[in-house]
Amino acid sequence: MEKKSRMNKAQLKVQGGKFIKVQLETEDDKIKKVKITGDFFLHPEEIIDDIETSVTGVLLDETVIADRIRKFILKNKAVLLGASPEDFAKCIVMAGAGNG
Amino acid sequence: MVENWRLLDTGLHDAFYNMALDEAIVLARSRNLVPNTIRFFRWEPSAVSIGYFQSMEEEVDTVTCDKKGIDYVRRRTGGGAVYHDRDGELTYSIIMNQDHRLISLDFQETYETLCLGLVLGLRRLGVKAEFKPINDIIAEDKKISGNAQTRGMNVVHQHGTILLKVDPSLMFTVLKVPNEKIRDKMVKTVEERVTSLERVLKRDVGFDELKESLIKGFEEAFDIKLVNGTITNFEEQNASRLIIEKYATKEWNFKR
Repeated sequence: MEKKSRMNKAQLKVQGGKFIKVQLETEDDKIKKVKITGDFFLHPEEIIDDIETSVTGVLLDETVIADRIRKFILKNKAVLLGASPEDFAKCIVMAGAGNG
Repeated sequence: MVENWRLLDTGLHDAFYNMALDEAIVLARSRNLVPNTIRFFRWEPSAVSIGYFQSMEEEVDTVTCDKKGIDYVRRRTGGGAVYHDRDGELTYSIIMNQDHRLISLDFQETYETLCLGLVLGLRRLGVKAEFKPINDIIAEDKKISGNAQTRGMNVVHQHGTILLKVDPSLMFTVLKVPNEKIRDKMVKTVEERVTSLERVLKRDVGFDELKESLIKGFEEAFDIKLVNGTITNFEEQNASRLIIEKYATKEWNFKR
């Protein structure tokens, strides 16, 4: 069967926080590749690449994605400031729905 | 006994040197080659810096920048895109050991502690400055200073800007707007949300006057003495290396 591939963008202004922008590539409603950009703070910075990789292959479900990112941040003792894992997940799902 | 810190005033440099020198000082501090340091600097030519997590293509109109001779560079710190006007803003850096009494594990708390130096400095000039979480300093409810912090190698590095003069329409010729229709609206929004020393004090404030006030503000807030110092050879050499290997490269500046 042919796979359904899509490329989408979304952005989200976190209330009292920062801007998140997402560039998303999906395949059969799963995350194939995601790039999260914005003016938030994340320490250590380099871990953003691993966070993006950590959700690869995950179904486009806000709760599942948020959970995955939250656990990844905790496990690596990273600190996210100005946005939350839930905000990242929300923006990713927005991009997936094509309503950025 | 009062703690002595090094004060550097490195004057006008391009964006790549400015960012490379900050990192070189962090490296030197991590090896205990230099004391805790506060650095003042400016940008020539004027430049745009973007936060670590931002996309250069999405945030900066690089075509216009190239035409106007404006540099653009990615910072090692998070946060937003900043237009560093040669004549309208002063930038500072604080580079210090992480196990210092002023540093908390909590980033938010540390922003507030370190920004107090700026707040007290601005108040000396007559600006009713206040810290506003996450990382801003405001006056009359408008942003007058933005700050960004990172940590690593047991060093805390915070840098930020203080606006002396602001020109929002120029700002949006170099920063990208989603579409032309809302350019005017964004310019207006910046006018409503951002201010400068000139606007608050209704007079011109010179760089020297601002720096003198900030020095006293830092000394008071941190309970330290700032002593004029020089850049070490180690720092100069590493700055030169970091320009070539990192800050002037496409790989770094366009990596996200």
